[in-house]
Amino acid sequence: MSTMDRRSVLTSAVLGGAALVGATSLGSLAPEAAHAHRSVSLDASVPDPNFAEGRVAAINGGLLTVTGSDLVLHRIRATEATSIWKLHPTSLRAVEVGDGLYARGVPLPDGTLAADAVWVNIVNLHAHIRAIGRNVLSLDHRGQPIVAHVVPGVTAASYNGTPAVADLSLLRVGRHVQVLGAWHPDSNEIDIATVYAAAN
Amino acid sequence: MACGTNLVARGLMTWFCCGNAWGPCGGAGGGACGGCQSRLHHCAWPNRNAACFDITRPDRCGKSLPRHGCGHRFFVTNRCSGNCVGVVVQDCGPQTDLFCGQRNCCGDTCGEDKIIDLTPSAFSAIANLSAGVRPCRVDN
Repeated sequence: MSTMDRRSVLTSAVLGGAALVGATSLGSLAPEAAHAHRSVSLDASVPDPNFAEGRVAAINGGLLTVTGSDLVLHRIRATEATSIWKLHPTSLRAVEVGDGLYARGVPLPDGTLAADAVWVNIVNLHAHIRAIGRNVLSLDHRGQPIVAHVVPGVTAASYNGTPAVADLSLLRVGRHVQVLGAWHPDSNEIDIATVYAAAN
Repeated sequence: MACGTNLVARGLMTWFCCGNAWGPCGGAGGGACGGCQSRLHHCAWPNRNAACFDITRPDRCGKSLPRHGCGHRFFVTNRCSGNCVGVVVQDCGPQTDLFCGQRNCCGDTCGEDKIIDLTPSAFSAIANLSAGVRPCRVDN
């Protein structure tokens, strides 16, 4: 069964109120593959109906109520087939009230978004290294301090685009880095998933 | 004027947030053009104008990127998947010269140097946000 077929099954399951776990046996949808060879050409002044973002206000089973940053309320339906990222691939159980998220899926007639993928607390910061401590980087992001925690077993570095490795010893104070990580809600702290840096 | 028909450049795409946003993005503002929003299909381009170019300097990485200002429409293709999205310039960036030589590959398909930043809405339409960076081509 192709990825697009699986995606349709997921949507159909939600639409029909059928057993949502039915999609589970098909495997989680990899977000990049879920829209294979798709072209999206919307009017850029109109919000993408397949996308939602904001802070989680409530969780009821698989239904996330999310307050958008523009104060629009979103209802996002996640299933076991939904790809969920929170520092690393995880499950709906890891999502908490107060988390920030981006979600992509299929809008349903009842106004909910059947989520193919949800990225929780994800940030992608372009920053300078102010200091390097034990398992922590102090970053300057647009003039604001960010405390970036190294998570053993998770955090990796990619130097000059090479495959990511656990060794962070080539990072240097003053250098520019791109840090993909997970925000600690209502703080200036993040956990680092991947730090992209030059090696020289 | 569509996906993959009028090549402007090949390189890397990444994502950024702007406008109303949560977390460290909260103070990002509306970008150089004033109307940038994470939930819309917007982008940042390194040669939005002369002042922008003086900051981003893609030429230092050997990239010759034409000047296109606020409101210009690009089509960005994820070279790993073939997915394509239409985006409108709303900001200046990425700062290409900070990372000259940066590469990202998927299999044998590689890109080099950041040439465009997409909003989360646009990037997630064609790639996984958790990838952070992906090879791309940009078309008019």
